[in-house]
Amino acid sequence: MSSTTAISLIAPLVYITVLVGTLAVFSSLYRKRKANKAASLKPWFGPHYARDVYLTLLHQENTKVPDTILKAALLRRATEDIRRIIALRQAKGSLQQLLQKGSISDDLWTRFTVAEAEIEEELRDVVLEANAFKEGWGNTIFQTANEMANAQRIRDRTDEVTKQAEAERKWWDEKRKRAQRELLGEVNSDEDGVLVESAAKKQAKIGA
Amino acid sequence: MAATAPTTPGTFLLLPITMDEKTKDVTAHTHSDPALDRELEALNALHRALKQPGITDGVPPPPVPVHPQRTAMIEKMRNTGNAAFRKQDYKGAIDMYSHAILMALTRPGWEPAPLLRDELQQLYSNRAQAYIGMSSWPEGLADACCSIDFKKAGNQKAHWRKCKCLKEMGRLEEARDGLEYGLEFGSDPELSNMLKEVREMLERRK
Repeated sequence: MSSTTAISLIAPLVYITVLVGTLAVFSSLYRKRKANKAASLKPWFGPHYARDVYLTLLHQENTKVPDTILKAALLRRATEDIRRIIALRQAKGSLQQLLQKGSISDDLWTRFTVAEAEIEEELRDVVLEANAFKEGWGNTIFQTANEMANAQRIRDRTDEVTKQAEAERKWWDEKRKRAQRELLGEVNSDEDGVLVESAAKKQAKIGA
Repeated sequence: MAATAPTTPGTFLLLPITMDEKTKDVTAHTHSDPALDRELEALNALHRALKQPGITDGVPPPPVPVHPQRTAMIEKMRNTGNAAFRKQDYKGAIDMYSHAILMALTRPGWEPAPLLRDELQQLYSNRAQAYIGMSSWPEGLADACCSIDFKKAGNQKAHWRKCKCLKEMGRLEEARDGLEYGLEFGSDPELSNMLKEVREMLERRK
C-alpha cells in the first residue's frame, strides 16, 4: 500500500521535473542561439572612431591627457552620435514599411533595433561624462554637437563648389574648342561636299 | 579585421594613439587607417579651436548668443563686394565675396548652423552674379547650384542665375528643367520669361 502511494507521488513529480527541465534547456539553448545570431550580424554602422578615441585617451596609463583634449574628444563623439541618430531616424519609417510588406529580412530589422538600442545607451553615457567634466554641460552638449554636425555638412557642400567649377570649366573649354574646330572643319567639309556634289552633278549631266 | 569587430556598450577598441607632450596633438602610431587619421585631425583642430579666448575651461558655449563681430565683418565685406559689382568691377567683387565666404566658413563650429547657411547662400548667389558679369559661366553655375542647395524656396535669383549660365553654355534642356524646378517654389516673372525664351530656342533647334 505504502509503495503504491510512493510511486503514485513520484511518477507525476518525475514527469513534471523532466518536462520543466526539457523546456528550460530548450529555451536557454534557443535564446543563446538567437543572441549569438544577433551578435554575429553585421553592425548597422561602421566603427565609431570618435568614441574609441575618447575612451582610449581616457584610459591612457603612461601619459596624463589634459582635460581640454578629453572635452574636445567627447564633443567629437557627441557629433558622431548626432550623425548616427539622424541616419537612424531617416531610415526608420521606410524600413518599417518595407518590413510590413516583407521586402526586407528580419535580420536587417534586428540589426536596426540593435543599433537603436546602442545609440540610446551611448547618449546616456555621453551626457554622464559631460556632466562629470562640468555641471550642466550634459544639457547643452548635444545642442552644440547638432550645430557642429550641420555646419560640417554645409562645409562639405562648399568643398564641392570648387570641384564642380573646375569640372564645368574643363567641359566648357573643351566644348568651345571642339565647336571652333568643327566650325573650321565644317567650312572645309562643306567645300568638299560642294565639290563632290558638283562633280556628281556634272557626271549626272554627262550621263543624261 | 579588428576594425569591423562590433563594439557593444561597455567595451571599446583600444586604438594605437598617443599624445605629444609638447604640442598636445594626438597622433596614431601607424598610418594604416585613413579614417582614424581624419578623425584625429578633426580632434586636434577642435582642440585648438576650443583654446580661443572667451571659452571657459574648454567647454564650448551654447550655440546662442553669437559673437556679433564676425557677422558684422562679413556683412561689411558683402556690401563692399556689392558696391564693386555696381561699378562693374567684377573681379574685385568676386575677391570680396570669396573673402567673406572664407570668413563665414571659419566660424567656430558650434555657432548656429542656420546662420552659416544663410550667409553662405547669399554670398554664393552674389558671387554667381559677379561671375555672370564677366561671362564665367562654369564658375557661376557652380556657385548658383550651391546657393540653391542651401536655400531652395525664396531664392529665385539663384535659380535664375543657374539657368542663365546653363543657357549661355547651350545646355537648354537642363536650363528648362532648372527653370521649371525654380518655378515650383513660387511664380517669378523673370524665371517665366527665361523659360519662354528657352522653350522657343528648343523649338527652333528641332
